[in-house]
Amino acid sequence: MSVGNTAAPAPLANMGEPIRRSESVAKVTGRLVYAADAPGQSPLQAYFLTSAIARGRVLSIDAAPAEALDGVVKVYTHLNAPRRIATPYTQKGGYASDTNMPLTGPEIHHDGQIIAMVIAETYEIARDASHRIVTRYDATTPAATIDSPGVDILHPDALAEKEKKAGDFAAALAAAPVKVEGVYSTPAQHQNAIELYSTTASWSAGELTIHEPSQFVVELANGAAAMMGIDPSKVHVVNPYMGGAFGGKGFMTQRTALVAGAARELARPVRNVVTRDQGFTLATYRSETKHHVRLAADHDGRLLAYGHESWEMQSRHDDYPLAGFGVTTAMYGKPAILTRVNLVKADRQTSGFMRAPVEMPYMYPLESAMDELAFALDMDPIELRRVNDIRESPIDGARFTSRSLMRCYDEAAASFGWSKRDPTPGSMREGDWLIGYGCATAGYPTHMAPATARVTLSADGSARVEVAGHDSGQGTYTALGQVAARELGIDPERVHVAMGDSRLPAAPASSNSLATASIGSAVKLAIDKLRSRFGNALPDDRDRSAAFARLGVSEIGDLGEFLPPGTNPEVLGMLRKGQVPFANQARGDESKNGKPLMFAFGAEFVEVRIHRLTREIRVPRMTGAFAAGRIVNPRTARSQLMGGMIWGMSSALLEATEIDEKRGRYVNDSLGEYLMAVNADVPRVDVIMVPEEDPEVNPLGVKGIGELGIVGTAAAVANAVHHATGKRIRDLPIVMDKLLA
Amino acid sequence: MNECAVDRRTVIATGAVLAASLSLGSAPAGARASMDTRTTPLTRDITLSVNGTDHAIRVDTRMTLLDALRDKLGLTGSKKGCDQGQCGACTIHVEGERHLACLTLTVAVEGLHITTVEGLAEGESLHPMQQAFIDHDAFQCGYCTSGQIMSAIACVREGHAGSDEDIREYMSGNLCRCAAYPNIVAAVNQAKNEMERG
Ligand code: FES
Ligand code: FES
Repeated sequence: MSVGNTAAPAPLANMGEPIRRSESVAKVTGRLVYAADAPGQSPLQAYFLTSAIARGRVLSIDAAPAEALDGVVKVYTHLNAPRRIATPYTQKGGYASDTNMPLTGPEIHHDGQIIAMVIAETYEIARDASHRIVTRYDATTPAATIDSPGVDILHPDALAEKEKKAGDFAAALAAAPVKVEGVYSTPAQHQNAIELYSTTASWSAGELTIHEPSQFVVELANGAAAMMGIDPSKVHVVNPYMGGAFGGKGFMTQRTALVAGAARELARPVRNVVTRDQGFTLATYRSETKHHVRLAADHDGRLLAYGHESWEMQSRHDDYPLAGFGVTTAMYGKPAILTRVNLVKADRQTSGFMRAPVEMPYMYPLESAMDELAFALDMDPIELRRVNDIRESPIDGARFTSRSLMRCYDEAAASFGWSKRDPTPGSMREGDWLIGYGCATAGYPTHMAPATARVTLSADGSARVEVAGHDSGQGTYTALGQVAARELGIDPERVHVAMGDSRLPAAPASSNSLATASIGSAVKLAIDKLRSRFGNALPDDRDRSAAFARLGVSEIGDLGEFLPPGTNPEVLGMLRKGQVPFANQARGDESKNGKPLMFAFGAEFVEVRIHRLTREIRVPRMTGAFAAGRIVNPRTARSQLMGGMIWGMSSALLEATEIDEKRGRYVNDSLGEYLMAVNADVPRVDVIMVPEEDPEVNPLGVKGIGELGIVGTAAAVANAVHHATGKRIRDLPIVMDKLLA
Repeated sequence: MNECAVDRRTVIATGAVLAASLSLGSAPAGARASMDTRTTPLTRDITLSVNGTDHAIRVDTRMTLLDALRDKLGLTGSKKGCDQGQCGACTIHVEGERHLACLTLTVAVEGLHITTVEGLAEGESLHPMQQAFIDHDAFQCGYCTSGQIMSAIACVREGHAGSDEDIREYMSGNLCRCAAYPNIVAAVNQAKNEMERG
């Protein structure tokens, strides 16, 4: 490791060592096996044909020209689809991320729905054949955007608990001397991990093996079993490494059972690699949201009223509500609060996780409005946050287990050089470039899920950690190895971690930034059990062989079962069935029954440069400071926070899935047209990790960092754009034409 | 309500006919191209030279080099991130220059020397660029990494690694959704010095 390597920050208080990822060499030599790389028994290739309309019916579908090709094994349509059993939506006790089950009838519910699946000996033949299928549609005009005629706007009672309220909002607003109000929007976005979605299914003696990138292998195994009508013990999901996920590989999609069903019928392994454009409609995504935000304060900046009404795009058939008020109301002051969420039901696929699914779209409008309020008060935006920094929830007085927001602001501001900012918009220039500085808060709740893990210690001083967890690039293998090594008192190199296999001890979905905290806690509990077998002190190098000899074994293993505080033991049973205990979760943003709030915080600073004439926008540098409890590995943590900040910048300036309003179809469904940050967009990112100790959150004192970095960045960019130009762009992404308008 | 019949080949073919005729100033009404009526794939027996080894294979003439490497030769280090030349995950070297394997037909590179990420290390000793990617944590998930490393080596050889700005520009054809970009620049800087000394 070279000296002064910024990728490996020296650990500060309460941080582990910045060791390299355990799979590093395999990753740079191309030897790491991802799902679609798994050497198969020359699988048949499946290629989907997807609908060219967003709503209507298939009148007729003529597969004969496709079937006429040599090498085509079968063409499945709704007339002859492989047999599957429907499973309910994940939030209703089932396993489907989208319950619209393709090839069950002629109806089309959204753009790019699967209408046929060609199975052929080779990929080239399958693709060619799919293009020869002739489909006649009866197309109906879809309602596809929030403002389209024909959408249904719902306000479900079930969400009442998420609609936070405090005091008399109307009266507080009316009486307040300083007010701001705005309508903000965030666009549809797609996760677009570089690894494509894929499924490889093979059957042997009634047992199904699936290679598929999945952030929840236990769910995928149970879900596939339910849809195939077999016992879950007969399904084996293998997926040790993922090429990025970002939420897109969360819950099971309808593709898995289609491919597995074909493999069963044809008695041959079948592989499907979803094309990039098909991936836009054959998985969940981040749907668009709209927000009406009102903030009011006294002349010193103390918040008096906070009102927030939102509209979230949904499919017709499933609800994936965000209702992020638990997060926004945990940020500031003690205002009167009124919030409301509306679900907009339209002819679209079901939305789902995408990095900071709740926090990104809800913190963007709040943090923009805070900047507008600071401007209206003629106050420094950092000082506005300081005046409103809190120790307890304005909703119910719940305390925070820890909260280092202002330390993050102070460290980031000093490093960024905020004091050089002239607050007057448009006042800072260099040549033809207008310079803007902006900042915003990042906040991410510390969620936890039940988890189990087995740790086995050998007489030779090596150890094994086994858990059905996942690594899509976060560094989970490395972090869990470090957690185990620390507890066992051995070198991390001596710990082997096995994950990504549904037959290992059950672990929760790799989502909500909870993997290290939850699985790590299970690892710690397993080691606590091991320790008790050795009279409460693990043997060290000198007495290890003697200790094992006394026990008469060469290795010894124990299962750790982590039950998040406030949950009941039933959740472990649900975990083993691959279900999320939605009604009984340990959420950091929920404080009922006297539970404290648990959050990681950060402060993000951005410099933008905007060309005086063309309004081209560049971001030469970003600085973020984050406090998230114990940092297990500063190297992988920094990479995650940095990646998150770049995501936020990309989200602010580039990313939007554009929809043809009339036809309800995505128009930029490729990596060439769906813009996301490239290397040239990202000159400099400084990540500061602020030491923080929070022994209360979980046995490890770890908060999640995988999503924290993205949360405030988009608002920081928007605020910097305002500082540079005096223009407030409330609809993301911020592009040149909006600045020229 | 409106009825429409669509197959993608007709759309593509019709589009081409329309474009051609528009340039002549007249669009034929109801142009519909004739269907490709062949039902048996065209194959060819070729020899591919990859990482210094010759492989005799039979390929569908439509097969991309990326699919041939992955499915015929089992060299799965090169990744498919788009299959459309838009992400760089499939970057390989042909005669030492960087190319996108997903945009290269296998039959077009017969007799040329192909290098993939699997061909960089000598035994257990890594190429300086591979080592630099590890040292600087220039990846998270690793899915773009083979392509990044192949591009990075070419970038240095092309003389496009002179400054951070150049590196960023000439590495921008390789998307990294994990956004390891600043670390990639640091890695290229480290390896550049060693490659130049080397
Ligand atoms: S797979 Fe070749 S450029 Fe994306
Ligand atoms: S490391 Fe994940 S895409 Fe680059």
